[in-house]
Amino acid sequence: MSLVEFKDVTRIYTNGDHELRALNGVNMTLEEGEFVVILGPSGAGKSTLLNMLGGLDSPTSGQILVEGKDISTLSANELAEYRSNKVGFVFQFYNLIPTLTVYENVALVKEISKNPFNPAKMIAEVGLSDHSKNFPSELSGGEQQRVSIARALAKNPKILLCDEPTGALDSETGVMVLKLLLSMARNYGKTIVIVTHNQNIAKMADVVIRVKNGKIKSCEKQENPLSAEEMEW
Amino acid sequence: MLIRKLFRTAWKYKAQFISMILMVAIGVGIFVGFNMEWYSLDVNTSEFFEGTNYADFRIYSETGFSEEEIERIQEIPEVEDASRVFAVNVDMKGDTDKLALFVPEKDTVSTSVLMEGTAYDADEEGFWLSGSYAKANNVACGDTLTLTYSGIEIAGKVKGLIYSAEYMVCVADENQLMPDYDNFGFVYASPQTVFGKLRMEFYPQINICSELEKNEMEDALRTALGKTTLVTSKEEHYPYAGAQSEIEEGKTMAAILPVLFLGIAILTMVTTMHRISSNEKVQIGTLKALGFKDRRILRHYTSYGLFLGVVGSVIGIALGYLVAWVVVNPNGMMGTFMDMPNWTLYVPWIGWIMVVLTIVLLTLISLLSVKKMLWGTAADALRPYQPKKVKAMKIEGTKLWEKMAFATKWNFRDVMRHKSRSFMTLFGILGCMLLLVGGLGMKDTMKGFISLIDEEVYDYNTKINIVETADNETVEQFAEKVGGDWMATSGIQLEDKTVSLEIYDVTHDMVRFIDEDNAGVTLEDDGAYICIRLAENGIKVGDTVSFSPYGEEETYSVKVAGILRSVLTENLVMTKEYAEQVGIPYHISSVFTMEAQENIKDEAFISGKQSKQALMESFDAFMEIMNIMVYILVLAAVVLGIIVLYNLGIMSYVERSRELATLKVLGFKDKQIGKILISQNVWLTVVGVIIGLPSGVGVLYVLIKALASEYELRLIMGPLTYVVSIVVTFGVSIVVGLFVARKNKKIDMVEALKGTE
Repeated sequence: MSLVEFKDVTRIYTNGDHELRALNGVNMTLEEGEFVVILGPSGAGKSTLLNMLGGLDSPTSGQILVEGKDISTLSANELAEYRSNKVGFVFQFYNLIPTLTVYENVALVKEISKNPFNPAKMIAEVGLSDHSKNFPSELSGGEQQRVSIARALAKNPKILLCDEPTGALDSETGVMVLKLLLSMARNYGKTIVIVTHNQNIAKMADVVIRVKNGKIKSCEKQENPLSAEEMEW
Repeated sequence: MLIRKLFRTAWKYKAQFISMILMVAIGVGIFVGFNMEWYSLDVNTSEFFEGTNYADFRIYSETGFSEEEIERIQEIPEVEDASRVFAVNVDMKGDTDKLALFVPEKDTVSTSVLMEGTAYDADEEGFWLSGSYAKANNVACGDTLTLTYSGIEIAGKVKGLIYSAEYMVCVADENQLMPDYDNFGFVYASPQTVFGKLRMEFYPQINICSELEKNEMEDALRTALGKTTLVTSKEEHYPYAGAQSEIEEGKTMAAILPVLFLGIAILTMVTTMHRISSNEKVQIGTLKALGFKDRRILRHYTSYGLFLGVVGSVIGIALGYLVAWVVVNPNGMMGTFMDMPNWTLYVPWIGWIMVVLTIVLLTLISLLSVKKMLWGTAADALRPYQPKKVKAMKIEGTKLWEKMAFATKWNFRDVMRHKSRSFMTLFGILGCMLLLVGGLGMKDTMKGFISLIDEEVYDYNTKINIVETADNETVEQFAEKVGGDWMATSGIQLEDKTVSLEIYDVTHDMVRFIDEDNAGVTLEDDGAYICIRLAENGIKVGDTVSFSPYGEEETYSVKVAGILRSVLTENLVMTKEYAEQVGIPYHISSVFTMEAQENIKDEAFISGKQSKQALMESFDAFMEIMNIMVYILVLAAVVLGIIVLYNLGIMSYVERSRELATLKVLGFKDKQIGKILISQNVWLTVVGVIIGLPSGVGVLYVLIKALASEYELRLIMGPLTYVVSIVVTFGVSIVVGLFVARKNKKIDMVEALKGTE
């Protein structure tokens, strides 16, 4: 059984008379432990795809099976449960709680996750132990994104979902964050899905999915992905 | 174009705009309404008094005034007009009802206002009956009335139904407090109607219109008549005094709580206005970048404040009319007390000033909060509003902090970060609590005061009033027969005040006396007792005070033996024994007995009987007027609390929506997030209640002090008041919290997580 299976997933946004087909009959499967990159231009539907998988949004029609269970029909509460235990998010704009310290932002997940990792250990792994007591506004963008990675992983999720995780960072910091993200996902054996329009990142992926106009254009497995060290940025 | 933006922006912030308009409306409404109450009473009664030439002075003579005497009085230059009057209480034939009969020699002083029928005519035979009495007893114009006075029947047709300022508060005697038109009314009659039947012309009273002071009038009369006469000024006449005390009471009520109320409403507006302009910062920048001049932008944003102020004030004034109408209308509580033709509502100048000030203030607030944002370049203005950065607080190093749940920490920091919003929330809760405690406490205090009279002070069943001509010996014998105690009351001049001297003979425990702490006091025979009001005037126990009976030269000196809480009058109390020791003459005016009213046979010396129950009922009716104001205030407090909290709740929700969305994405359930939001409300409520409770008691204390010239009240707060105030305040806070928390279900996670702008 695949970890994730999309079956003919369609998402239509309606705004008055105007109809927007963000996803139009998407079928795909993701396997456990894979590093997946979803590529596509702006407005192709890749973020929608990620949000569906993350339980932030539900499809208009079709099924999304995660570990064999259909999440497209879950109630708001069940979806919250799903988000707290199965998925971890990393956003372009970090989305840390400004009134909580680094430690508290990560420790937050203890209140919702069934089997969380030790927050202090996660912070140590992203190299921010010295900043535990700082507030997000006192950190640089790269540091904030590292906190956000620590928070996402601390939940001990099955899948790590990243929406343009390096989009707001300069390229040097972006590479560093990406390396960290990948090595941690590998160490903990997590499936990782990154949505981006950066072609370079795709070179490291096990699977590259290209999305256009709400449809999957191609889905290719890369036998020998480059490691982060081998990459030329 | 910008005007369109105004309305669209108003729509965008509709929750805030509506709540701000409501806040202004309620604040203005309560303030204007409460001030309209006393002011309308003042204007209507004044017009009534002036329009009917209500007499400024009344003088009395048991033997009657001669034609020569009235002429001499009219010759006094300062006397504008004067008329001899025959005024007595008469019986309705075949009924227990009594009527106050008023026979003026001239129809120019203390005249009447026609309600129905033909106007009073001194040359015409007939009766002009109190309209209210006529209504209560189904008497119509053209009906025949038969009155009996000293056994003589006087019959005549009812020619008209009237109002009279002379009987605006129509009571048989002052102890009745409240009119009872089922059993007592008044009637005007022409001299020939009455004196024809009585076969004599007798005028024991003269009503005088004059601008003179009372002592000047006394001197003028002494010169004119060559003797000292008993003069009562209008301030001592019940209709005038009753109206004035209602007006004073109204002023006191309007001066404290509604002002607090308006203050809270305006302060909340400040925060909301500031927040809205903060949220509009980018728009302001855009307008600036487009090339709009600062002044134009200022004018645009200032118009928000103006718009809110004007709309809110207009609704507020309408609301004020409603609030004032509840009290001041002929069919309301005040209508049962006062009987007058006009009940027009007027807004006093202070109301208009406050309305203008409110509008100006709101405009100014919006001006100032925008002005700050216009400083600097368009690029500066285009940067979105950034809340202050979070700094670590001292408490964070402590172990307690470590143990706190994240929600607690989050709320704690949020409160600290948005100090003004939190402060306003606190202020709203505090205001709600304070008004509830103050309002309900006032009711408790009044209720406690009445039950004190009922249970501790008066223990009789019937009070029998004695005519002035009765001799003390007969009355004492009568009192002994009915197992009663008696009281002799008379007006005295003490220092520069007119107070009542009450001489008691209490052997049957029908009447009791209480001290400042409401503890029972047994009157001793070695001195007089002053009431709290006199004590507050600077008279102390052990002092010797001098007074002279009304209209007499004789002066008596008495030693002050103690202080008593007086239930009604401002008085000096002593025992019969002490009065006799000092040599003060007295005349028994009332007998208190356990006998039921109907078991007491009519005697020539009995002028009337009143059950304690009837007295207590009239007390209750009297207090009802104040209770209505209290209810209005309590209702308004709750509404204000709801609006303030909802408004601020929405504001805090909007400001935190990004954080809330993040929590949701992380997997927090709506319920958990709701709990976090509500717990912040609950904390602030706890603090608000803790501060609000003593503040409310403080306000109540000030209110009671302000009413001290009318009632010797003792602050009483029932346990229910505490419970209700706390429960209602928490209820408001939690219900509003739930309403706001419900909104987080609608948060669009995807939308909220997009870029910072």
